[in-house]
Amino acid sequence: MLPVILEALLKIIFFFILIMGFVVVLIWGERKGSAFIQDRTGPNRASIGGIRLAGLVHPVADVFKLLFKEDVAPSQRHPFLYAFAPWLGMVVAMTTYTVIPFGDFLQIGDKVYPMVVADLEIGMLFVLAISSLATYGIALGGWASNSKYTFLGSMRATAQMVSYEITMGLALMGLFLVFGSLRLTDIVGGQGELIWGWLPKWGVVVQPLGFLLFMGAIYAETNRTPFDMSERDSEIVAGYHTEYSSMKFALFFMAEYAHMVVAAALIATLYFGGYQIPWLPRPVLEGHAGPILTGLLVAGGLCSIWIGTLYFRRARREKGWYNDAREREPGVLGTAAVVGGLVMLGSLLLQPWNIGAGGGSIFVSLIQTGAFIGKLVFFAWLFIWVRWTVPSFRYDQVMHLGWKIMLPAGLVNLVVTALWLAAVHR
Amino acid sequence: MAKLTIDGKQIEVPDGTRLFDACHEARGEALPHFCYHPDLSIAGVCRLCQVEVEGMPKLTIACNTTVRDDMVVHTRNERVQTAVKQILEMHLINHPVDCPICDQAGECGLQDQYMDYGLYESEIEMGDKVNKEKAQVIGPHVILDKERCVLCSRCVRFCEEITKTGELGIYNRGDRAEIGTAPGVELDNNYSLNTVDICPVGALTSRDFRFQKRVWMLRATPSICPGCATGCNVRVDHEGGRVYRLKPRRNDDVNGPWMCDSGRMIYKDVHAEGRLGSALVRRDGGLESLSWADARRELLGMLKPGSVAFALADPSLSLEELVLFRRLARRLAGEVQIAGGVAGDGLGEGDEILLSSDRRPNRHALSWLDLAEVAPADLAAALEGARGTVLVLGGDPVAHLEVAAALKGVRLVYLGTRHNATAAAADLVIPLSMWPEKDALWANKQGRIQRGQRAVAAPGDAREDWRLLVDMLGHAGDDLDLAGLPALRRFVAQELGLADEDSLNRLPAAGLVPDVAVASPGSAPTGGE
Amino acid sequence: MSYKGLPEVVTTRKRSFWESAYFVEIFKGLVVTGRHVLKNLRHTDEMPTIQYPDQKRDYGPRFRGRHRLTQRDDGSPKCVACQMCSTVCPADCIEIEAAEHPNPAIEKFPETFTIDLLRCVYCGLCEEACPCDAIRMDTGIYEIAADTREAFIVDKEFLLNNDKDGTL
Ligand code: SF4
Ligand code: SF4
Ligand code: SF4
Ligand code: SF4
Ligand code: FES
Repeated sequence: MLPVILEALLKIIFFFILIMGFVVVLIWGERKGSAFIQDRTGPNRASIGGIRLAGLVHPVADVFKLLFKEDVAPSQRHPFLYAFAPWLGMVVAMTTYTVIPFGDFLQIGDKVYPMVVADLEIGMLFVLAISSLATYGIALGGWASNSKYTFLGSMRATAQMVSYEITMGLALMGLFLVFGSLRLTDIVGGQGELIWGWLPKWGVVVQPLGFLLFMGAIYAETNRTPFDMSERDSEIVAGYHTEYSSMKFALFFMAEYAHMVVAAALIATLYFGGYQIPWLPRPVLEGHAGPILTGLLVAGGLCSIWIGTLYFRRARREKGWYNDAREREPGVLGTAAVVGGLVMLGSLLLQPWNIGAGGGSIFVSLIQTGAFIGKLVFFAWLFIWVRWTVPSFRYDQVMHLGWKIMLPAGLVNLVVTALWLAAVHR
Repeated sequence: MAKLTIDGKQIEVPDGTRLFDACHEARGEALPHFCYHPDLSIAGVCRLCQVEVEGMPKLTIACNTTVRDDMVVHTRNERVQTAVKQILEMHLINHPVDCPICDQAGECGLQDQYMDYGLYESEIEMGDKVNKEKAQVIGPHVILDKERCVLCSRCVRFCEEITKTGELGIYNRGDRAEIGTAPGVELDNNYSLNTVDICPVGALTSRDFRFQKRVWMLRATPSICPGCATGCNVRVDHEGGRVYRLKPRRNDDVNGPWMCDSGRMIYKDVHAEGRLGSALVRRDGGLESLSWADARRELLGMLKPGSVAFALADPSLSLEELVLFRRLARRLAGEVQIAGGVAGDGLGEGDEILLSSDRRPNRHALSWLDLAEVAPADLAAALEGARGTVLVLGGDPVAHLEVAAALKGVRLVYLGTRHNATAAAADLVIPLSMWPEKDALWANKQGRIQRGQRAVAAPGDAREDWRLLVDMLGHAGDDLDLAGLPALRRFVAQELGLADEDSLNRLPAAGLVPDVAVASPGSAPTGGE
Repeated sequence: MSYKGLPEVVTTRKRSFWESAYFVEIFKGLVVTGRHVLKNLRHTDEMPTIQYPDQKRDYGPRFRGRHRLTQRDDGSPKCVACQMCSTVCPADCIEIEAAEHPNPAIEKFPETFTIDLLRCVYCGLCEEACPCDAIRMDTGIYEIAADTREAFIVDKEFLLNNDKDGTL
């Protein structure tokens, strides 16, 4: 019993750290990304001893700022719900991860651990059920603040959620039909196959329309532009979290990014093969684990050293720019990169090409997790990228799109998929 | 009557009118001029008032020409304009044009004429100008800048014709000519500042006002000088709650265009040290200041009907205040114990020009209101052995030693403006507003009621004094209900027994000499006890 | 949609199928913004942003900075307290008290001369109005900061020696 709990706990901690780390990085990515899209430099001031990491220190500073800020609350609030709402959003976002697989299994010695916290039979249904609870966080927060702006924000969020949840469900049904299961591990596993021997059987390949619908719906679900109805600054101040400050606001803020991570993970899992690397199924990878690891180490080491030299060049160029601690930064980062590269190259002494079967299996699991994280990062970035590219919809357009276009399209997609599958399986 | 045509406009003026005045009437604005002044003799030296009279070969000056029938006059044609411009240029040949440091700037004849008729480029180098003495103190009030003088001789004529003292004269000839005083002579008559008023440029300026403010920043409020019983009409020039100077306002029935120097300086009292800013109450032998609400409670508590032994109001109060005072005093005390001022207070030396020997602005009203003056000795006798409260409005009766000695045993309530002997001896002191701080009526020695308007705010806690008196009246059981100034003025008219109730609300510009039966009885107090 | 009686001002083009399909247009937009990201990632130094306290913009010689009072040869102000500047000032932020100068050739000088830099709108009318070239805004100083409101009310001594940048 105990090892099972321990195992689950370890996985939970892994996910918790992953999500919180992603939230911090995403907040930074949002600021830096929007800056680069708009030809600005973005955050670049906060530093720890002169080390700024291109602004990555800012989210850390933000956390401290928000922790120490005064918690101003409206006097006419509903005290319990007002305090409860931000937690709800956060908890819901965290819970959804439990069913998402980040690798197929990890084999240590004789033991095999599935790389998912809870491999539920109802998998995706659980995700849908839990994530729709997130609306409660927003609805309650807006209502409990007792302000018209927050209330408008939560009304919009609720209406939007109701409209797009249906589309999302319809789009997913097509996928369930194709893979024949609600269990996420099955869906990911099914995407490892190839069609006609060369085309990966990814969800996006077999359900292109379903993918587009799901994308749209999930953007609406996370309240991200172009569906940021619930927090439109130009219309309703800051929407549902207008009356929140300090750490309660921070929780809402982080929940939004946590939802983004969930959404990105879902897109990667459902439509882009999850942890699967196309054309390189597990047996192939395990067979060549030694050479692959060696190649990666050499390439990584060389890249790292090259990056280090770039930093050193920058250190020379920027000498005398600031006349303060910031001048140290390129030198320190360059040294770190070079040292890291040397460590990677040095590890060749351990003869990584003789990694063995047990080590090979672990290595492949790690590579697959890496592939999953890579996909996740891309789709998280896509959220940011889209937000700073397209303008948001008007409220009536949101409703029009949801009910009159995406819902029928989802139905068509489902029917066509069903007919097609019926034809194939006849 | 003479009929003449000026700039194509037919007008009819009485025979003997000056062409200058006829042109003023026809044009709606005066001709350019420096030396002409309606109250002085004609000098005709500045040559600016040039006009063309048809039939005359040359241009002529309007100020020294009398109208004739069928005259045809041009004041704006090319010939006249050129002449005026050239004469102006001549006036400015040696002028230093130091407007930035000249107090006249903003109300300067030269500046005005230049903008209206000049606007040429000067051909004179600054270095070529004839330099004369600048900033020469020529009297207690006046400072002279000889360079700026345009030799219009207004100041000389004023000293000869109005004050008949003749301190000023024009010395030297040609471009060396300058205004000055004879050696050892000072321009120290009591009307010297009028020369500053009539000097069209910044040659004569006031030492008191020197560099205090640029004139365009000042706001003007019409008022009445409270310096003596003459009641000269003045303009209070103030800015930011501060009075900077007084200027006479023309009223041919009272002061003409003049006023005296001592009257001009009277504004200084308003901002001088020793103004009462807050109410004071005697506690443990010393005076402590009091909030207005507490002061009001204290005051109303002290003034119970029948508890007042003596009520005294000084004729430096306004007409409205005196009327209200009489009503209040009658309600609080028996008639015998009311007096209007201390006999002998506020008398000085007068002269034949304007200054009256009576230095109170409102003593005439005392006779209307049947408020007798009380001699200091009688006042002392009345106070000796009196019980209760003594109410004093304005003035300084305790400055008389016998009065001060008789104060034992009475409670003295003083409503006044200054820290004086009476305030020092009082048990309760309430601050009042001074004359530029209130809209008030004054009856001068001719019995002419004139109105002074409120120019600045009173310092500290002082309020509209008449409202305070109405408040006290109401507390004493009087149901007098006065909503605002018009109602107050109607009430005053009733008390004086004027036929037209609203006459005080519609005072003519020259003031009103009402037909008041001497010692008007006034109305009986109304309202329950 | 048009409103009765109003001319149709905005004419909307009919969107083609691919345009209304939206996803294609989004993709085009993503390409545009993505290009910016890549460009800025590669050439971070060429971004138009001025890294303010470290880098500063060069302003032209006619830039209106913090005021100064010009001096006579002996270091006293050229100003004769004519108050043209305070008269013309639209923000009413110049306060001058004039006094008699010991030198009769100068006659008038400012006893006090204060400018409330918080109220000033840097319009430059004061230097234009001055007949004595006594007030100028040619210091080029635009960093005006202080800890209290009072500190922004600068006096004659400050304005006469107004060449230090930075906090008041
Ligand atoms: S007299 Fe008039 S013109 Fe002459 S300096 Fe004074 S203001 Fe200027
Ligand atoms: S001092 Fe003034 S009033 Fe006297 S002559 Fe000169 S300009 Fe005229
Ligand atoms: S720059 Fe403009 S606002 Fe500022 S002091 Fe000068 S006139 Fe006034
Ligand atoms: S305008 Fe010039 S001379 Fe006049 S007060 Fe202002 S700074 Fe002084
Ligand atoms: S006004 Fe007529 S000559 Fe001076």
